[in-house]
This record gives sequence, C-alpha cells and structure tokens, in this order.
Amino acid sequence: MSAAVLEQRPQILARAAQGDLDSFSQLIDPLLDPAYRLAAVMLGDRSAAEDAVQEASIKAWRKLRQLRGDAQSLRAWFLSIVANECRMARRTRWFSVIRVADVPAQAPDDRESHSDLRRALMRLTPDERLPLVLHFYLDLPLDEVARTLRVSPSAAKSRIYRAAKRLRADLTIEEVF
Amino acid sequence: MSNDDFRRELNSTFDQVSGSPSPGLRDRVRSGIAQAPEARGPFWIATVAACVIAVLLVGVLFVANPLRRPSSSVGPGVPTASPSATPSPSPSTSPEPQLPAFVCASSVAGQHPSSEPVAFVSDLRSGTHAGYDRLTIDFSNGGPSGAVELKPQSGTTFTQSPSGMSVTTKGRSGILVVIHGADLHSAYNGSVDIVTGYATLVEVKRVEDFEGVVQLGLGINGTGCYRAFWLSNPDRLVIDVEAGNQ
Repeated sequence: MSAAVLEQRPQILARAAQGDLDSFSQLIDPLLDPAYRLAAVMLGDRSAAEDAVQEASIKAWRKLRQLRGDAQSLRAWFLSIVANECRMARRTRWFSVIRVADVPAQAPDDRESHSDLRRALMRLTPDERLPLVLHFYLDLPLDEVARTLRVSPSAAKSRIYRAAKRLRADLTIEEVF
Repeated sequence: MSNDDFRRELNSTFDQVSGSPSPGLRDRVRSGIAQAPEARGPFWIATVAACVIAVLLVGVLFVANPLRRPSSSVGPGVPTASPSATPSPSPSTSPEPQLPAFVCASSVAGQHPSSEPVAFVSDLRSGTHAGYDRLTIDFSNGGPSGAVELKPQSGTTFTQSPSGMSVTTKGRSGILVVIHGADLHSAYNGSVDIVTGYATLVEVKRVEDFEGVVQLGLGINGTGCYRAFWLSNPDRLVIDVEAGNQ
C-alpha cells in the first residue's frame, strides 16, 4: 500500500463507508492477495478460495459501517470475514472431500520433507491452520492475529504454538515467536 | 531444524498449497461489489417489510385472538368457533364486542335453534382467559329441546336430584346450570366432578342427570356474573364466568 494511501486512509475509509466504491477498492485491493492465500490454505482449494474472497469482499462492502476502530483495523477485520466465509463454504458444500491443490514441480532433494510437512499441514483442521497462516505466512503481528481470530493475544499465541507443535513435535516456543 | 528453516519450509508449503490468485480476481471482486450496492437498499427494505409484517401479524392475532378458545378438555370432542346465537340480554362490560354482556342475575338461555328431543352432552371443557373462565358444554346430536336456566347463588351447596342430597363445590359462590332436554350419560364418559384449578371457575360438578334434565353446579370465585351463548359446529353451550376481585 502506497504511503499516500496510508496517509489518506481515514478519509478513504469514511468515503467508502458512505458508499464510494472507488474508495473501497483502494482499501481492499491490497488485501485481496493475503485474503486469497488465507482462504486457499484454509480450504485447500484455489477456486473455492477465490469464491470465498469475492463473497467476503461483498460482505465487507455491505458491512463497512460496522467496522469498529480506525482504518488500521481494516486488515484484521477483513481477514476475519474471509475466515468466516471459508468456514461457511466448508459447511455448505454438499461433499466433505477437500480437493488438494495442484502441486507444482519441485526440486527432487527437498520434495520429500516438504511433502511430509504438507501432509502434516493438511491433517490440521482449517481452524488450526488459520493462526499458522496469519502468523507465519502473512507475517501479521501477534495482536493483529488475535484481532483476526477474535481472541486475546495470549490465546492467539497459544493457538499458534499448539498448531505449530502438531507440525513439528520438537518445536520450542522460542522457535515459534 | 532452526526457527528460520522451519519458517522457510512452512511458507514454502503454504505457497505450494495456495499458489497465486488468478489475475482476474481483482476484477471479479470489483464487479461483484459493483452489483452489491443495490443490496443495501433491499436489505433495509426487507428488514422494514419483515417488521411491518410481524406487527400486522401480531395485530391480527390480537384482534382475532385464537387462543381465547377453551384450552383444556376433560373428555372427547373437538372445539371450533362460529357464533350462532346470543341469548343473554342484560347489560354489563364485555371483553369481546361480538359476545353478549355479562349478567349477574338468573336468566334463561333460549333454546338451541336445531333442538333435539334429548341432546346428548358429549364433552365438558374448561378454559381460562383474561377476564373470565369458560365452561363449554358440547352436544353430539344438536342442541337441547328445552330451555337452559342459569341461577347464580350465594353459597356453593347444591341439591342433587332426584336423591335430594346436598353436594358442595369449591369456591365462594355458585351458579346452577339447568339444561332441559339433555342427558349426560349417553355420549359423555368424562369426569362429572371437574376441579379446574382456575381462579374464577374452580369446579364443575354434576347435580342431576335424570329424565332429560341435566344440572351442573359451578363453584366460583369472583363476581358471580356470567354470560351464556350458543355456538355451532359442534353444537355447544358456552358459559363465561366473569373474573372479579378475589
């Protein structure tokens, strides 16, 4: 997000809340990529992830007036909507099989360890994957992870550590944070 | 494996799972949102419309008030509501404009329009309502041929017929209901001594069921005022006992 946009975010947010679509797009465009990555990891399905991001964006547009806090809160608020949309998408799908995303070609030497980690990751529930994505992949600070999960920072820390331990049993907390 | 290695490996795995969003995602989201603004209006309209419908429904239910039908049954029979005659004339307050006024003295409820030589009582039902308790006497073969007398009295002791023995009901006063041209044994197999548990109409007891005359003693608390009227389908006599200061 450009410095100009960051400076003007409160005004842009106010205009977006008044129904200005261009202002809303300015705010939401930079968040689409992390939102998609979050949804893709939660759902394990790229096409469904894009659907979820689209639905979440529409909901965010409709509910922008309900955003508590300032423009700084937008990312956590939007990602929590995306996560909710992913939960709903999983619930409403009539089949329960999660399609595994296409695996791109990789170097033979690290394929095995990556595939072990991937299998371990996909064995976690989507809600267990969520704090890992937010913390490791999207690199959100702990308080923003907490706001996205709608829990306290200490609870968020505990969820991240618990999920990471399930991927690698010998992890220490210092290695995670 | 160090912390950095773990992070690197994990993020690489995340990359494999998610890949990159398709180039059209931004446009797709934008076009989805562009169609959404109209939804703000209809959502509000739908909410307001739902509230209006709810208020109207509550209003209709309040006016029609289907819950005022007798609510408990002590024998077989299915209640319906369709007023056919209103014999009680004396003035008093009435909670339902289409019903007769409450009276506090003895009166005679006229004959049922489709009277039978002997009408068989098929059910005695009681219910409690705001301002009154109700006794409904169902007939299985049309209304009775004779008159129906209602006689308020100060005590709760009634004289059984033909034995002449006294019976007492609960309550502080009573109303004797005399139905000529009816019997309580051909089509009725429920209780002949019903303690309702209500505040006003506390007990209904058979006083006579002999030679085409049925007498019921009503034990009551309250004013001792009542109203009586006929309903049809099924044919039935309704007696509302007015609630008052206890």
